[in-house]
Amino acid sequence: MNKKFKVTVNGQTYDVVVEEIGGMPQAPSAAVQTATVAAATVSPAAPVEGSAGPGSIKAPMPGTILAVKVTKGQSVKRGDVLCILEAMKMENEITAPNDGVVEHIRVQAGTTVNTGDPLIDLA
Amino acid sequence: MEEKLKQLAGKREKILAGGGPKRVAAQHEKGKMTARERIEAFLDPGSFTELDTFVEHRATDLGMDAVEAPGEGVVTGYGTVFGRTVTVFAQDFTVVGGSLGEMHAAKICKVMDLAMKLGCPCIGINDSGGARIQEGVDALKGYGEIFYRNTLASGVIPQISIIMGPCAGGAVYSPALTDFTVMVDKTANMFITGPQVIKAVTREDVSAEALGGALVHSEVSGCASLMFSNEQETFQAVRKLLSYLPQNNLEEPPVAATQDAVNKRIQGLADLIPDSPNKPYDMRDIIRNVFDDGDFFEIQPLYAQNIITCFARIGGKTVGIIANQPKIMAGVLDINASDKAARFIRFCDAFNIPLITFTDTSGYLPGVGQEHGGVIRHGAKLLYAYSEATVPKITVIVRKVYGGAYIAMCSRHLGADIVFAWPSAEIAVMGPDGAANIIFKKEIEESQAPEETRKQKIEEYKANFANPYKAAMRGYVDDVIDPADTRIKLANALSVLASKRESRPEKKHGNMPV
Repeated sequence: MNKKFKVTVNGQTYDVVVEEIGGMPQAPSAAVQTATVAAATVSPAAPVEGSAGPGSIKAPMPGTILAVKVTKGQSVKRGDVLCILEAMKMENEITAPNDGVVEHIRVQAGTTVNTGDPLIDLA
Repeated sequence: MEEKLKQLAGKREKILAGGGPKRVAAQHEKGKMTARERIEAFLDPGSFTELDTFVEHRATDLGMDAVEAPGEGVVTGYGTVFGRTVTVFAQDFTVVGGSLGEMHAAKICKVMDLAMKLGCPCIGINDSGGARIQEGVDALKGYGEIFYRNTLASGVIPQISIIMGPCAGGAVYSPALTDFTVMVDKTANMFITGPQVIKAVTREDVSAEALGGALVHSEVSGCASLMFSNEQETFQAVRKLLSYLPQNNLEEPPVAATQDAVNKRIQGLADLIPDSPNKPYDMRDIIRNVFDDGDFFEIQPLYAQNIITCFARIGGKTVGIIANQPKIMAGVLDINASDKAARFIRFCDAFNIPLITFTDTSGYLPGVGQEHGGVIRHGAKLLYAYSEATVPKITVIVRKVYGGAYIAMCSRHLGADIVFAWPSAEIAVMGPDGAANIIFKKEIEESQAPEETRKQKIEEYKANFANPYKAAMRGYVDDVIDPADTRIKLANALSVLASKRESRPEKKHGNMPV
């Protein structure tokens, strides 16, 4: 006998069909199956690189953006200043970790940021 | 006799060929040298003497009786670096994947024991597939005996691990126990469990390079002290590193020849610091200007960049420098910076290398992540390491240093022998803004114009306390100096402190907050 279930994992809904065979050793396979679905959806949510995408420059500490020194579409070189983060009573220069093009600016002067908040995306 | 000589030559030739031309070619294709080529490239030309060339494994299980492993997959011996003796072992990936079995480990242990007897550095070149599984617990015993020796040798002779290929599982713990781990970009990997096991267990998909490559260990984990783009550069760097170090803990570091005069005033050093205390600058510029020939050798340059740890020389004599880096994260002290600096300080103390501390930090980094990550116990390492050190300790307070960070950065109270401050120094219990808000809370609240009063009180606090003179009045700062005289003052202090002797209560060992 087949039973249909709707299973939601991390906001994604899956239709799962469970077959009931009545006391046979195969029964646990249903549980295994759903577990696999769950695990499979978890793995992309736990990437090694961090969640804001590979090219996203993040705030190293909590503070306030004083100025953004680049514009969207601008080419930058490794070490170029992208923005100034005032934190720990210091005007910290946030620099490009590699060459690239400014794809997205997520902050402006006055934005308060926390550690790990994405500031600027480089492509 | 002639026959016997022929037999000897034949045996030796076979062993020197390692895993044979095919495997050697494969090694070269990966941009890697063979074990013997590496030793030749690292040591002074022609100085290498090999030991245990004829050692063979005695495993018979799982088909091992049929496996020939010339040299047992590791080349060991001794030689010189700039004329000074070192012992060395290099795992040979072309022979059974450089895997570690009982006799392979015995060869390594022998040169470690020899280094201890001679009182000279031991350098390990790692390139191994891991434990030789066929040898079972005998392979594990091999690792264990190496770890034990690494630990006993720690603080007696310098130990350096060079990673030039895979280094996985138990194998990673020998490098971790040594003083410095140097990795080659793209060809070196270190991890406890590899990508396949991780995928099976946690389903994380990660490449070997992203998991345990040189860059990851240099920037993220801090497990690598240094990384270089190829093997040749790596060897040159390790030779340079050794040039700063004594042969053992009973010797003084060697003195290098230099044309750079010690009684040199450095005009313009003060101008490297911006007028506003809120503006960052590169602390390396100060180090470059003060020490011999503008040269210094950074350890962990990519990790916890908010603090700099490096070797340099003044008047040819080695010093270990710990310096806040205002350019990175306001030079704050955090978990990683404390850990990095503490380990460096303890190395210097163990090997009679005087410590020079340059201070300019906004303090300890606030945040839930830091507190929950254990900044209390990690930060304590820094206090412990400085307090424990009995080598000459000189501190130069360059600019800001407030509160706990003032104490931690080798203050007089942790046993600094000489403390200099530049006139730009701001030494106080906390920054002017915070202090004024607390101390004058009532006055500000009751004032007709609170903002005016606040500003006025902040200025008042700045004028009275954000300077080096309050600390100098108590003798916590020995002298406020013209930055231009920094090199002269440091050289002078070092020569006076050369005869420093300081004892500690006798004990088995302390209980550092590891």
